[in-house]
Amino acid sequence: MSSLVSARGVQKRYGSFSVLNSVDFEIERGITGLLGANGTGKTTLLGMILGLHRTDGGTLEVLGIDPWHAGHEVRALLGYAPEHHVLPPDVKAADFVRHVAELHGLPRADATVRASDALWLVGLGEERFRPMGTMSTGQRQRVKLAQAIAHDPQLVLLDEPTDGLDPLQRDNMLDLIKSVSSEYGIDIILSSHLLDEVERVCDSAVIIGDGQTIASGTLDQLRTQVGGGTRVELDANDDQVELIANTLRSDYTVSVERRWLTIGGAPDEVGSRVLELCDQARIGVIRYGPTRRSLEEVYLGESA
Amino acid sequence: MTQPQIFDRGYRRFEGPRTGKSGAFKSLVIYSVRSSLGLGRAARHKLFPAAVIVFAFVPAVVFIGVAALLPDELVTQEELLPTYSEYYNFVIADIFLFAGFVAPELLCTDRRTSMLGVYLASPLSRTSYVLGKAVSTLLMVLTVTLGPPLLFLIARSLQNLGPDGFGDWIATFGRIVLSSIIIGSVYSAIALVASSMTDRRAVASAATLLTIPGSAVITDLLVVDANFTPHLRLLNLLYLPRALVFRVFGETSEGWPRAENPTASLWLAWIAVVGLSAFVVWFRYQRLLVRR
Repeated sequence: MSSLVSARGVQKRYGSFSVLNSVDFEIERGITGLLGANGTGKTTLLGMILGLHRTDGGTLEVLGIDPWHAGHEVRALLGYAPEHHVLPPDVKAADFVRHVAELHGLPRADATVRASDALWLVGLGEERFRPMGTMSTGQRQRVKLAQAIAHDPQLVLLDEPTDGLDPLQRDNMLDLIKSVSSEYGIDIILSSHLLDEVERVCDSAVIIGDGQTIASGTLDQLRTQVGGGTRVELDANDDQVELIANTLRSDYTVSVERRWLTIGGAPDEVGSRVLELCDQARIGVIRYGPTRRSLEEVYLGESA
Repeated sequence: MTQPQIFDRGYRRFEGPRTGKSGAFKSLVIYSVRSSLGLGRAARHKLFPAAVIVFAFVPAVVFIGVAALLPDELVTQEELLPTYSEYYNFVIADIFLFAGFVAPELLCTDRRTSMLGVYLASPLSRTSYVLGKAVSTLLMVLTVTLGPPLLFLIARSLQNLGPDGFGDWIATFGRIVLSSIIIGSVYSAIALVASSMTDRRAVASAATLLTIPGSAVITDLLVVDANFTPHLRLLNLLYLPRALVFRVFGETSEGWPRAENPTASLWLAWIAVVGLSAFVVWFRYQRLLVRR
């Protein structure tokens, strides 16, 4: 299957101000985090995926469709939860979710049933007839998730879905997002500036900064693809570890943390050298592999 | 013996037919009309629209009562009942008050909340969104421009005071419908323009309620006191729709509204006011940056 969203050299300007210079990525199935600091163009990119903004350069395809020229076709297949949670305060959650489902083409009877089902799914079954103005921020975020999935979209765009939530509510929301994707096979793009929540729920990520794609791919790829080194745990005492480290320092950058060595350089080459040295010194190797970096390290390291 | 059944409920994939853009448009209009009537909302949201609608019907009910209580000859000879075009003189303030309430409720609220973003993320386009809101506003305003004269027509017909014969009745019915659209469209258009310019409902309502009588004061000053051309009166938003309604009913009143403007110029002015307003609202929404 082709990518859900494919961007090649996408550009966007507002007058003389360039928001996106050249953005390239492929978004595959699962949950994808759209990462970037505030003001880096994440919401603009979501708007372009929805077909609300025209690209000023490059090509963008969503579910194989050009969203600008066939916006209504694309939007019928998407669910969207906006960032702000200022929903109409005097409207009941069930009425609101049903209305959004109808907007996406569900007949009224189906929309009514599915609105109820979606609200039960997000944990608001008992609260569904309450006006949204009487709900907590966490409940309103859940209503937004419910309206985004009620019409059974192929792809859901969630813009900062944990904004304004306390840590416990945030954990619950992230669990909910993960279960919606894993249990019902709904693909999700989660826009966020909080890296830890992307690491927690996403299968892959697109990192945007300075109007460009800084990195994209699965989280495993992102953790190893850039500046990756080799990490080795030795079965040795401190002196032996220091001896190996000093020998390696003539060719590589090496840092030591108790029995762990972190060695810069290509893993294959480093690996054979380390094994050779350990064999000569009769030291055992407990663990060996590429360095694992947090997504934050990738993001900060790349953008620096 | 009844067979046991298992009702398998819960969220699941949807395989049924979808209604597409037309379904989205219909849903937008129905939701907007319900919302502006306060349906599905707390009681306080129903009070104002209900009161305005009731007030629009009050003159019709009073005149029907007069016609029912007094002898037919007296009613006819003394011309106690207004004509259909004259009826609007009694409710014109009610009509533009209602337009000034409904349009801000429908447009400003969506922009202040996240609803506009939700709408534009649906199969609706900006154009179909604006069209849906305009249709909703007009439908609402028609309740006060069309409902009372229709009730008046039916009551007159039942009391043998109405048009004679089926042909005349249908013609009068058609004129009432056309008149209500003429008046409703002008005030809806002005209210929609005001509402497209601000997120604040109170400001949009105030702008609507000041613009309509304000246009009358200014044009009267220019035409009557400063002796400018009577064509300026075409910019009088109290005069223009009512003058056109008089022409629709074939009446040229000696009093108000004045008969100085040819019928064609009235039609052209009406088209210009409604068309220009529609363009302004459409253009505004094409350029609007949705941040929520």
